[in-house]
Amino acid sequence: MSELLIKNACVIDPLRGINAETMDIAILDGKIVEDVSGAAEVIDARGALTLPGGIDSHTHICGTKVNFGRYMSPEDMRAGRTPRRGPMHSTSGYSVPTTYGNSYRYSAMGYTTLLEGAMAPLEARHTHEEFTYTPLQDTMANALFDGNWGILEAIRDGDTKRVAAIIAWTLRAVKGFAVKLTNPGGTEAWQWGKNVSCIRDPVPYFEVTPAEIIRSVVEANELLHLPHSVHLHCNNLGTPGNYTCTLGSLGLIPDLNPKRQTLYATHVQFHAYGGSGWKDFCSKSEPIARLVNMRPQIVIDMGQVMFGRTTTMTADGPMEFNLYRLHHDKWSNHDVELETGSGIIPVIYRRKNLVNSIMWAIGLELALLTKNPWQCLLTTDNPNGAPFVRYPEIIALLMSKRYRDAEFATIHPDTGSRVPLPAIERELDWYEIAVMTRAGQAKALGIQDLGKGHLGPGAEADVAIYPIRIDEVDPSVDYQKVIEAFGRTEYTIKRGRVVSRRGDCLVDGSNATFWVRPKVSDDYDMGKDPDFIEKFDRYYTVRMRNYPVQEEYLNRNRCIETEAEI
Amino acid sequence: MIVKDVVCPFCGCLCDDIEVEVEGNRVVSVGNACELGTTKLAGEKRMKNPILRDGNEWKDITYDEAIRYAADMLLSAERPLLYGWSGTHGEAQCVGVHMAELVRGVIDNTSSVCHGPSILAIQEVGHPGCTLGVVKNRADLVIYWGSNPIDAHPRHLSRYTRYADGFFLENAFRDRKVVVVDIRRTETANIADEFVQIKPGGDYAVLSALRAIVRGKTETIPRTVAGVTREQLVRVVDLCKEAKFGAVYFGLGLTMTQGKYKNIRNAIELVSELNRHTKFTISAMRGHYNVYGSNEVNTWMTGYPFGIDFSRGIAFYNPGETTAVDILARKECDAALIVGSDPAAHFPRRCLEHLADIPVVQLDPYPNATTAFCNVQIPVAVTGIDAEGTAYRMDGVPIRTRKVLSTDYPSDAEVLSRMYALMQEGREG
Amino acid sequence: MKVTLAMKPTNTSFIPIEAESIVPKNFLLGTDLSVWRGNRELNLDEVFSVSVEGEADRPEDIEVVILGEDTFRLKRVGEYMDGGKITVLGDIGMHCGNFMSGGTIEIHGNADGWLGREMAGGTILCRGDAANYCASGYRGGRKGMTGGTVEVFGRAGHFLAENISGGAVTVHGDAGDMAGAEMRDGTLIVHGDCSRPAANMKGGSCYVYGTAHAMLPTFKKIGTVRHEGRTLIHFTGDIANRGKGNLFVKDYRYLD
Repeated sequence: MSELLIKNACVIDPLRGINAETMDIAILDGKIVEDVSGAAEVIDARGALTLPGGIDSHTHICGTKVNFGRYMSPEDMRAGRTPRRGPMHSTSGYSVPTTYGNSYRYSAMGYTTLLEGAMAPLEARHTHEEFTYTPLQDTMANALFDGNWGILEAIRDGDTKRVAAIIAWTLRAVKGFAVKLTNPGGTEAWQWGKNVSCIRDPVPYFEVTPAEIIRSVVEANELLHLPHSVHLHCNNLGTPGNYTCTLGSLGLIPDLNPKRQTLYATHVQFHAYGGSGWKDFCSKSEPIARLVNMRPQIVIDMGQVMFGRTTTMTADGPMEFNLYRLHHDKWSNHDVELETGSGIIPVIYRRKNLVNSIMWAIGLELALLTKNPWQCLLTTDNPNGAPFVRYPEIIALLMSKRYRDAEFATIHPDTGSRVPLPAIERELDWYEIAVMTRAGQAKALGIQDLGKGHLGPGAEADVAIYPIRIDEVDPSVDYQKVIEAFGRTEYTIKRGRVVSRRGDCLVDGSNATFWVRPKVSDDYDMGKDPDFIEKFDRYYTVRMRNYPVQEEYLNRNRCIETEAEI
Repeated sequence: MIVKDVVCPFCGCLCDDIEVEVEGNRVVSVGNACELGTTKLAGEKRMKNPILRDGNEWKDITYDEAIRYAADMLLSAERPLLYGWSGTHGEAQCVGVHMAELVRGVIDNTSSVCHGPSILAIQEVGHPGCTLGVVKNRADLVIYWGSNPIDAHPRHLSRYTRYADGFFLENAFRDRKVVVVDIRRTETANIADEFVQIKPGGDYAVLSALRAIVRGKTETIPRTVAGVTREQLVRVVDLCKEAKFGAVYFGLGLTMTQGKYKNIRNAIELVSELNRHTKFTISAMRGHYNVYGSNEVNTWMTGYPFGIDFSRGIAFYNPGETTAVDILARKECDAALIVGSDPAAHFPRRCLEHLADIPVVQLDPYPNATTAFCNVQIPVAVTGIDAEGTAYRMDGVPIRTRKVLSTDYPSDAEVLSRMYALMQEGREG
Repeated sequence: MKVTLAMKPTNTSFIPIEAESIVPKNFLLGTDLSVWRGNRELNLDEVFSVSVEGEADRPEDIEVVILGEDTFRLKRVGEYMDGGKITVLGDIGMHCGNFMSGGTIEIHGNADGWLGREMAGGTILCRGDAANYCASGYRGGRKGMTGGTVEVFGRAGHFLAENISGGAVTVHGDAGDMAGAEMRDGTLIVHGDCSRPAANMKGGSCYVYGTAHAMLPTFKKIGTVRHEGRTLIHFTGDIANRGKGNLFVKDYRYLD
């Protein structure tokens, strides 16, 4: 039995409506409880800001394409090397750190739960292996369905229940957590070297449109009662003028779920562009935010860009190829049979570059113009916009107009005529930041009932104590202090154990993987469906029996069973 | 008893449709596999116990003694080398990395004598590739460059290319064209629609010429390039541009010819250029069934795919310096642990001379060429027969190899974990 | 100030010594420096007999002289050097003068691989031969040498000046295969022969005063020029790579 008592914590716990109350937090055997005995170990937070452990709802940390990014970038790997020290293994990497590198650096920032943004089901085993070596955070993965043949055919046949059945079978098989669509239809078209240009553009051969894919998969997701909504990377990422496509996509979504959003649109910064080309490129964050404000069934995340070097990596193969044509840097591509694709290319976002400066502004605008912080979460689509270690700077920018202005003065001088950012006065407060970095994620992912994202009794004892007293610091002025504080916790506690102390990780870690198992009727069990089985063994190059991720890869895991409506 | 959907632990094809008949705890027959796989799965004459060299003789020792010997050897070395890894499962490879990190030695795998150059090229220009099933279902043009699959990857053609049925190809044999590029007419060249014969050492020049022709700059190219006529070069480019989906597979004929990684780089740049016209991918014909796995494991754990030197605590990567052949040839290491490979069968003589001078421990089920250089050999279970674990196919798809029977042999992962535990104690104590 | 490091003879191993601490600047603070043999840290005076003459308060006034039979094992000498002088009275190991930005390194014997890797400034003189990757970049294909001068009086190995983006490299003897591969900018001069020079070149100027063997077919002949008393054939390319560099050779041969 292990007991821990955190005294004098200044707690912000938005899921329980607690806003800067000084209190004690009692922890017993990894869970928050009402009290503990006098024998408990005591940590005196001394009034420091104490939040539930950080949750990243969209980050690329584990799996085939992430490892591709590492593998092809020895110059990135050598940029951030640390030796083995105590329980910490050696790490390498700047924008695509090794798994231990990711885990330790996230832990130093107070993050205890991570969602891998894109996992190809055929290669899920790889993601799970890397999860094991990201030991200080609980993990879960979005499984990609955007180019899934079985689903495209079912949509063509108008059979939403079959769509749901295939999703159910696949998520169970590969131990996935949620449904991801990346450039729906586009990744299949890309396997012919093509792309889709808007949501009404049909996919070659299958003849279904992205709009149909999105609508059908959203419906199917809700039939399965999955904790998270469909997670969408819209078509046309990065293209000038793509905001119309984004508005069209978001406009398709009905309100199907009372507990959470019906669609999570990710890294929307990359999808909020106006203009007809690079010359008149401009921000369209305003119409996007306006739509989000009017539709509670949509949650977005920022996808903030920060200046400097990084590596882009997404399942959006054709988009990555376009970046290659633009920058002519080293480019990798990896199409996955019957399922999806991916592309990787390093980039540099430059202040002197007008387009990059506009992109930087857009991410901030989305967060500032979305009224409800529960609807716009903080991410950089790590590492696409920037490595996650830059989150503290983003927090500071959102909390301080002064900091924004100071940074604005260093970017391309014409930016002001293309973006509304300079006119935005709003400064987010500590509560809103807490929502955008953990509570909002827990709600959007549907894991608050699993004890994540809050500090109420029964919750997982994932706690982050930041070295800052919010009654002594004015974030709109002392933004440097904000950056330092969010960059390194005094304590990061995971399941009741101190895992990180002032940047040093203290334990080996033993994380859990969250996954879903929707229960369907026999009629909709694809494991018994002759058509599904026949096509599987004919067109995949892996046998159906060898495809599922075996139990051995799960270690400690939390399986969420749902009762599907099929 | 027949076990179906068995994963073959031989080459990078990682076929997983093998049928194995087991009787009396032995493999009695193998179905669906090629000759190479069948021989591996039916493997006989395993070493019975760990052995220790005692003068000119071998002494039987216990696993505990053997593991302790290895642990002590690694702990006392100033520059230990941990080499091999491609013939074992991922779980063992992970322990290997931890061990190298603990003793601050060098960990390298067989990529460094095989497709290391391919990896170096990818590190310069990226890798536009895909999984094997994408090629099977779509490719109407397949190019084998410096690769003779009939010999080295016998089922590649039937499972993934020439003879494989594809979703988008009614009749694979008729609708798919195969081009073979090599310095001599190989068996695979005999089944090709177009054979391009290049003078040895001329691959790079031919690839540069092809790139220029794709760009429309045919007039600058001389009338022949490395023995290939300009006409044939133009014909090949036309075939590529007319294809709906082209797939290039290359092997040691390209990686081992002068220039090595530059040849691969040029091939990749050609494919990237072709992507401006039509869909094209390129991939390496990885040799061992889990060499790609050791690259993947090494990368997510250290940042680098092979040749990693932990002497200074941080991971340092520099092929040509931190790779096993170079380290052995220059006599730079003072102890070696070999797992899942047989360097004595492949390495240059200079390397073997040094290997003979230093303490060596090997984990391998069978006596092999390296046995002659060992102080200790520890027999382990064979991954895919009596041990299971993750392997990565040549296209990056991870498949879990299965156990078809159980023996008393410990797996590589078990032996290495015990060794690592002893080493951790040794370091702390 | 002159610091003389005489390497003590070793009877046993060839385990290399990593000596990135041997940079003139570091001797301003004394001679209590560390080097590494494999995973073992050693004091400077365990490996060398150290003697110091004179004083200095700037690196520019420090010369470090290294001598001994086994100096070929010393790696990373002069790494990140920004001033002063290092003289090696014999051969030197890999990575000598990596990331150098100022000062002079003079090697009387031969240099092992990666001499002057990713150099940004300063001067390296090698009186003997240089091995592979002389004046090159690191893995990953980023910019290699960006400034400074490297001069080799003997021969150079393969991949000389790979990825060069600035500075000047001169080799008086022959060079190996793929000299100047991926050249972006800067100047490369090979007095002797080499093979496949300037492969995949994007820019810069490469001169071969001898014969370019296995000349690549994707360079376009422009004409002849007179350069420093020599008549050279002028090519531009590499056409395969959209390159606009200049390759000047006295003579060339295609592979066939």
